[in-house]
Amino acid sequence: MTKKITLWIAVLLLIVIGLAPVLSMFIKSLFVDGALSLKNYQLLFQAKREWILLSNSFTLAGATTLITILLGVPLGILFSKTDLPLKKLFTILFVIPLIIPPYILALAWFYLCGRSGVVATVFGEKIGIFTSHFLFGFPGTLFVMVSTLLPIVIIMTMTYLRMVNPRLEEAAKLSARWPLVLKSVTIPVIKPGIFLAGLIVFILTLGEFGVPSSLRFDVFAVESFIQFSAFYNFNAATAAAIPLGVITLIILMGERIFLRKKTIQFRLAREAMTIIPLGKTKQFFFIAVITLAFILTALPIGILLIKSFSLPAYNEAFTRSIDSIIRSLLYASIGATCLVALGFFLGYLLERKAFRFSYAADSIAIFLFALPGTVIGIGLISLWNTQATNFIYASIAIILFGYIAQYTALGERIMAATFSQIPHSMEEAAQSVGAGWFRRLFYILIPFAKRGIIAAWLVGFIFCLRDLGITMMVYPPAHDTLPVRIFTLMANSPEEVIAALCMIMIVITFLPLSMLALVLKYMGSKDDSKN
Amino acid sequence: MIVKIDNVSKSYNKTSIINSISLTIDKGERVVILGPSGCGKTTFLRMVAGFIHPDKGRIAIDGFTVVNNGKCLIEPENRQVGMVFQDLALWPHMNVYENLAFGLKAKKVPKIEREKRIGTILEKVQMVHFKNTFPGNLSGGQQQRIALARALVMQPKILLMDEPLSNLDIDLNLLLRKEILRLQEELAITMLYVTHDRDEAFSLATRIVVMGGGEIQKTGTVKEVSEYLSKLSRECS
Repeated sequence: MTKKITLWIAVLLLIVIGLAPVLSMFIKSLFVDGALSLKNYQLLFQAKREWILLSNSFTLAGATTLITILLGVPLGILFSKTDLPLKKLFTILFVIPLIIPPYILALAWFYLCGRSGVVATVFGEKIGIFTSHFLFGFPGTLFVMVSTLLPIVIIMTMTYLRMVNPRLEEAAKLSARWPLVLKSVTIPVIKPGIFLAGLIVFILTLGEFGVPSSLRFDVFAVESFIQFSAFYNFNAATAAAIPLGVITLIILMGERIFLRKKTIQFRLAREAMTIIPLGKTKQFFFIAVITLAFILTALPIGILLIKSFSLPAYNEAFTRSIDSIIRSLLYASIGATCLVALGFFLGYLLERKAFRFSYAADSIAIFLFALPGTVIGIGLISLWNTQATNFIYASIAIILFGYIAQYTALGERIMAATFSQIPHSMEEAAQSVGAGWFRRLFYILIPFAKRGIIAAWLVGFIFCLRDLGITMMVYPPAHDTLPVRIFTLMANSPEEVIAALCMIMIVITFLPLSMLALVLKYMGSKDDSKN
Repeated sequence: MIVKIDNVSKSYNKTSIINSISLTIDKGERVVILGPSGCGKTTFLRMVAGFIHPDKGRIAIDGFTVVNNGKCLIEPENRQVGMVFQDLALWPHMNVYENLAFGLKAKKVPKIEREKRIGTILEKVQMVHFKNTFPGNLSGGQQQRIALARALVMQPKILLMDEPLSNLDIDLNLLLRKEILRLQEELAITMLYVTHDRDEAFSLATRIVVMGGGEIQKTGTVKEVSEYLSKLSRECS
């Protein structure tokens, strides 16, 4: 009984914190001057501009998805299935852009390709104008979105490849060369994973507002933010947010109905993955990958580093933002802890199917994760901006609610994966000797799941730390975080100070990652010594 | 002689898995490697197929050296070996016809010849009516037949079988043993079969190789090996 109550509390928290704001926003958008009306939507869709924005959003999301798949799948195969030298290092290098807030990458490219950027300084004004034209608008936005979201396709390709039964490839290898084996066996088998990766990239691009607004490419996600922050037209902002919510819902329903049915259940093989010898092509692939890693990761970070390379710049950056840095770290830590706590129980619910609505809770979490941050932000304001709930709306709680609403799915899925590795019999054995729910929780589940808990906390921390969409919408006065501070300072501060702030942001994001690597290594060596 | 294996050895992390094994297999022979789990028999089979390269020694198939002292000279796809895997490894996204046609297409066998060969082999394994069925919709025994047909349709010089019947119930196991014998005789194919099951080995082999601890302990006819194993059990008890 206590177990059921705990799990129900977790589900209710997700509904109240995550789903209720979105529902509240939707209901409010249907009322004008206290009467039921579709006027907000009529006004929105009568304007030709809105249709152009919607078309821009779809074009950007579609192109980003296509390019990330065309690049990410071969890279995933190279990093996990071949004898490419330094492939672990390459994997890390390619994942870095996903961890950094995307608009920081946009800014780095602006410092490189803008009218007064490095390229213009070195090659002359005319070239600078050309590169600036490329950067501002569709091509530049597409490029930055591809470099940010490419790691998702790489990681998912690698993950799915690990699950492929190596015998399937060996059976094909008895009569065909590797390129044909990959084309006819390996890639078709991991197709559900590739589709899923494409879907995530599509949804995330559709909801991204930091990069398009920095690079002046008008998309729908920016519209609700502008309606809210520039015109303070709450109804129009809400109406502008709803189509994105509806599109997200349709895509996710499609995924549930179509993709789940198509998913091939592969056998989890204990054997090592079959490695493809690259032979004479090794040098070609090595040079291609190193070039791509340089362009997508080393170049933007290098530019920020060079641009910020002065003590006064860092001094000013710290003076201007030390309070935001501390707040960022604090809020991200609290946010990550909340995400782990909620994710722990929701993950348990999903994996152990503890009651009938396990999948419904999972669907809510996934839907909220897929929603654009600005939409969740408007929803939170819509629900909590009342006199009675001002203690929430005017405090850090509103930011934490935003983090929980958007990122619970991450903690939930990591914990579900962790619980799937813990045999049911462990808990059942404790239960059979009379251990109650909380005793099993503290003495069996938590000790066994500690690695998953650390990983979930860290992923949650990184996502909370880099969040811009929600925090930008809901932060109360004097509660701005570092990403928000950078975003607001970008327009009117010296470039070297902004570059220094970006470098600080990158460093504080990577510090916990390094710490985790050390902790996991320590835990791994401890486990080894026990065995 | 179809296969010649000379002083082949393989180690993993300084642990010897295969220790200086030599064996020859003649055309049309049914050689069964019999041994307990972990004795190195599957590793041995995978070395012949070309998925694992021995650290030392030489393997020749049909007169061609395929691997010599750790150096792979002929890749698996050019060794002309067929293999039936323990878990069958039927491609789940291809139907029966596509499973059989894949290798033939890779080898650029003309369409008319391809259709003929697939038709013939499906008749031989009595699965003609399942051409368009996906492996997931076949029973265990039917899947087994298709896995066998997929290996045989390539007309390999030698057929390697890695405990293909180990996951089946006893009735189906006995039935498929008969099927394998019938097909082997009809097609006069050379077979190298790996199992830990004595009954299976005795009913399928023309020659049995007993393996243990990465070494060959005894080679002989069914009768010779049966006597050797009985003597061994008497000594142990």
